[in-house]
Amino acid sequence: MAKPQKITGLNPKQSFRENACIILPQKVEEVYTWEQFIRDPARREELHNMRISIKRLRYTMEFFAINYEKHFTEFIKTIIDLQDILGDIHDSDVVLEVLADYKGSFQSTELPGVDTLIARTRETRNADYQAFLERWEQLSEVNFKQKLLSIFAS
Amino acid sequence: MSTAIEIKDISPEKTLETCARQIIVSYFREMMSHKTGAIDGTDIKFVHDMRVASRRLRAAMDNFADCFQKDTFKKHYKQIQMITRTMGAVRDLDVLIARFQRELQSLSGAEQGDIQGLIEQLQHERKEARKPMLNLFTELDARDFGIQFLTFFEVNE
Repeated sequence: MAKPQKITGLNPKQSFRENACIILPQKVEEVYTWEQFIRDPARREELHNMRISIKRLRYTMEFFAINYEKHFTEFIKTIIDLQDILGDIHDSDVVLEVLADYKGSFQSTELPGVDTLIARTRETRNADYQAFLERWEQLSEVNFKQKLLSIFAS
Repeated sequence: MSTAIEIKDISPEKTLETCARQIIVSYFREMMSHKTGAIDGTDIKFVHDMRVASRRLRAAMDNFADCFQKDTFKKHYKQIQMITRTMGAVRDLDVLIARFQRELQSLSGAEQGDIQGLIEQLQHERKEARKPMLNLFTELDARDFGIQFLTFFEVNE
């Protein structure tokens, strides 16, 4: 898992509100550092890291929600949706790894139950990955990142 | 997914340092409130809730690190990191066991045997993964970690 990027420019003696404008854009940038990898379904590690960065952004937005108007929570919901889809993809990746290891430990023995679950999980993973890409493209089309950054500065 | 707790005594006008202390202390208390259930281990939700709270706590500590004296902060941060890590190993296995148990019902009789064997293996791994978690809790209690953490982070007004 990638380490969180160091937050810079804070002033602990300034208001919570003023520091929100400093911290939140940095958390958004951390998420978008992974964007270059997402169109390759095999980049498991990077997709996982994007999920972790999204989770960090979500928690940070929740801490700072008090500083913003009510519709700020709509943005948090969108972030949670992305986190959930990426979470499903990661769960499938872990399940596939566990099943492959388990099968490998038996070498030549037939394990039809494991084969069925591998096939099923691959299908689910592919569907979740497509759903994530579609959601990401939709958000890009409506300038979600710019909207987020504007609301943080508002 | 657990929802965020309501943090009392924070406001946009207060200083970042004051709010950071309130947030960190609130999530520390939230995390520790699930410890008894996590130690018991019967209901997997306690390990999940405690781990999520520890992740929120870490996110807060990552964001607000510059508000605190570096060395002591680092020491406490590492302990929280250890808590997340040891709980993560248990939680990952809980998720896998629950998933395979759900899948089991949709498989034929012959296929079920394969997955049942895997579930048993994972249950054994879970038992082993709980040991470092329980040892860590005992060690932290012996060192009064909770008191030290709260003394360092609580607001002194």
